[in-house]
Amino acid sequence: MTATDGQSPLLEVRGVSKYFGNVIALKDISLAVKAGEVTCVLGDNGAGKSSFIKILSGVHGHDEGELLVEGETVRFKSPREARERGIATVFQDLATVPLMSVWRNFFLGSEPTVGKGPLRRIDVKFAQETMREEMRKMGIDVRDPDQPVGTLSGGERQAVSIARAVYFGAKVLILDEPTSALGVKQSGVVLRYVVQARERGLGVIFITHNPHHAYPVGDRFVILNRGRLLGDWRRGEITRDHLVTQMSGGAELDQLTHELESQLEAT
Amino acid sequence: MSTTAVQPVADERLANIGLGARLLRRPEVGSLLGALVICVFFWVTTDSFGTLSGIANWTDVASTLGIMSVAVALLMIGGEFDLSAGVMTGTTGLLMGLLTTEWGLSMWPAIVLTFVFAAGIGFLNGIMVIKTKLPSFIVTLATFFVLQGINLGVTKAITGTVRVAGLGDVPGYDSASKLFSSTLWAPHNFRISVIWWIAIAALATWVLSRTRPGNWIFAVGGDPNAARNVGVPVARVKIALFMTTSICAALVGIIVALRLSSVQAGQGVGEEFTYIIAAVVGGCLLTGGYGSAIGASFGALIVGMAFIGISFSGWNTDWRFLFLGVILLLAVLVNNLVRHRAEGARR
Amino acid sequence: MRQLRYALLAVLMVLGLAAFAAACGGDDDGDDASSEGAPTTKDDVDLTQGQDVTIAMVTHGDGGSFWAVAKKGAEDGAKQMGVTLKYSESNNDPQKQAQMIDAAVTDKVDGLAVSAPNPDAIRDSVKKAVDAGIPVITLNSGAEDFADMGAMTHVGQTETIAGEGAGAKFKEAGAKKLLCVIHEQSNIGLNQRCDGAKTGFGGEVENLQVKGTDDISTTLTEIQSKLQSDNSIDAVLALNPDIAVAARDAVKGAGSSAKLATFDLSGDVVQAIQDGEIEFAVDQQQYLQGYLPVVFLTLNKTNANTVGGGQPVLTGPGFVTKDNAETVAQLAKDGTR
Repeated sequence: MTATDGQSPLLEVRGVSKYFGNVIALKDISLAVKAGEVTCVLGDNGAGKSSFIKILSGVHGHDEGELLVEGETVRFKSPREARERGIATVFQDLATVPLMSVWRNFFLGSEPTVGKGPLRRIDVKFAQETMREEMRKMGIDVRDPDQPVGTLSGGERQAVSIARAVYFGAKVLILDEPTSALGVKQSGVVLRYVVQARERGLGVIFITHNPHHAYPVGDRFVILNRGRLLGDWRRGEITRDHLVTQMSGGAELDQLTHELESQLEAT
Repeated sequence: MSTTAVQPVADERLANIGLGARLLRRPEVGSLLGALVICVFFWVTTDSFGTLSGIANWTDVASTLGIMSVAVALLMIGGEFDLSAGVMTGTTGLLMGLLTTEWGLSMWPAIVLTFVFAAGIGFLNGIMVIKTKLPSFIVTLATFFVLQGINLGVTKAITGTVRVAGLGDVPGYDSASKLFSSTLWAPHNFRISVIWWIAIAALATWVLSRTRPGNWIFAVGGDPNAARNVGVPVARVKIALFMTTSICAALVGIIVALRLSSVQAGQGVGEEFTYIIAAVVGGCLLTGGYGSAIGASFGALIVGMAFIGISFSGWNTDWRFLFLGVILLLAVLVNNLVRHRAEGARR
Repeated sequence: MRQLRYALLAVLMVLGLAAFAAACGGDDDGDDASSEGAPTTKDDVDLTQGQDVTIAMVTHGDGGSFWAVAKKGAEDGAKQMGVTLKYSESNNDPQKQAQMIDAAVTDKVDGLAVSAPNPDAIRDSVKKAVDAGIPVITLNSGAEDFADMGAMTHVGQTETIAGEGAGAKFKEAGAKKLLCVIHEQSNIGLNQRCDGAKTGFGGEVENLQVKGTDDISTTLTEIQSKLQSDNSIDAVLALNPDIAVAARDAVKGAGSSAKLATFDLSGDVVQAIQDGEIEFAVDQQQYLQGYLPVVFLTLNKTNANTVGGGQPVLTGPGFVTKDNAETVAQLAKDGTR
């Protein structure tokens, strides 16, 4: 795995804040995402992770600070704009339509066409073959072209979304809690996809509240807590246990454990 | 740079799907079987059902129903309802009638204006649903009441009676009838509305299965958030669907008005549920995202065949609705049953 | 597997039901009578003379108590004449009525009886019947148009004249303001009755549009509210027996002293006349409107008779008042008046 020092980050936020009325959702967040790196954004519920994603993916605008794509300051007006700039977001609800077939989902919004004018129609053959090929690269053989996405397992559905993002030229892949709804084995499979995406040169932002999933694949780890950046470590600078401790309230939990232990000793 | 090469894992749970199973999984299965059963039943038990004239009779009934069922099916696949679809056929017919008999337009300009008006109402329906974020069931129910009132009130105020008549004397009537309400192949007299119906069903099927907007319709009905996230213009698609429904209602209103040379103020009221039923029998889910225009056509065909078949049988007409209800229920059950079996294990 | 078995069971049930319904429907069509050729007394001649005659009757009826009596008349006529009757009603939908007439023509029936509240709508279909050599008679509505449509005669009551009669009777009773209750949005004939009533009444007449026979409770509320909000109304004219009963309750509920009259009879209406709750009923004797066309058409087929001489055959207005109510009451309970 080569480091990509000296290259400008694919996506960067500098001092970004977001307010909803008088609620501070995010305060002074700075983070840079480079190609070929997995950045894990950890935090418990309510830490501000979803606000963060929404700003990166173009759903919301930021109130303070700067958002940069490949060194250029931008302000996204819609998720479509973000997508066009190469920022693909795979949301928790997977952004796939369960009743539609895999290939229709894969090409939704960017369907390949042949013909002109009123005779313009979808190139079904190309779409089906391309989908099968891309899914094969993720390790899944989709044999039935019209199989509805809803019949795939949770991990496989993640694969569809990721494969789609990669195929359509995403430079940055933001994964919102991809393993939260999955079992152990499926989570392992998804983590493999995350690594694959990194191998193909994307910058990956992996958002999760589960440090055990983040630790094996991350190159950088940042922790959000109540809208603020609690810490920022490179791989090797922090152990898994320390990561867990930092995440779950750190010092407060230490004190509570200490109190409980002394109570037990006293009885 | 080493890549973590991942071998494709053949999913042992995914047995090879045969062509037969894939066909059975299609949404049209139930309605096709239902239509076949009824057709054979009446063909065998009556003298007239299988004659060319008889076929002309039941395709006649099915055609205007079918045009609307296809439009309503498209809208339902897109995740919305239009309860004003039935009364719209009356409003548009009445408008065309009043434009010609009261305000002196000749037939063709009146027809064009009627279509424009219908597109406008459809647009309004769509905009209201989008902006208010209320269920379309509620919004179009309001439209239904408004139109029902306007139909009666305006007709009575202007003509003093409850219908607009005298369309036969309007210049342009003959040429317009030729296009919208003439019959073909005497003496069997197939109605030209059947051709309109087939054309619209074919167009709808092509759009749904082979074009980009068709893909968007499924997505918008199946999961509008997911669709929006990948850049599908959800609002535009829904508004277009509402407009399609209203424009088809105008077509039906014009067809009926020209056929009968008159329009009654109460026309179309109550039909909106028949359209929805035909669409559901044809495989459309009430929750959206799934369905078929061909299926809805078969659903309309079932209603048409039952209607005329019962006339030919001379049955006590009190049983008419019982029979229709049972057949429709069966068609929906068969749909579900066959689809479940064909899809196999689902998570 | 079990699901498939249930599905097959369901299909068998439906086919069984259909067969059952066909059997029931068959009885009503007088199949027994024609197959046995059963006359009612030994003096009667078997009029069909061994021919298998089918008469189709296509009305705009709605299945309510009024049309049930007309249907009974037609069924009785078919039974007595030994012919098959195919009765269908369109529930006020002119397109459906045209389509049912087309079906009757395809069916090559021997005679066709239709009601024509909207003659323009069914003109083409009736013409096809006439061109196919099927004799046509109109009933109940369409008195002005029957000759134009190619029908042999019209059996019914002319609405305007009946309305005038009703209006005149209210005038006789000394009423000053009449409320005319219209229950069918698109029925021209009903509007003609109210117009006729206005002519015959001479005083102030107001029309009230109500929900109709599908929703009697709403209709009742609508009439009652009207009476409560306007107590100068001293006469109410209903145009249907079910509506009349609702109006009777509405008058009571509003505490109004308005006199009530109606068009057409039912058992309840006759009882109400006997009890003095309804002044009179204008009876168009719809039993005859069902019965006579079947007889006329059969005779036309078997004996080449034509009835009417180009004029309508009038079945009303007849007035049912306290004087003759008791006689009529029994008949109304049997469903023939």
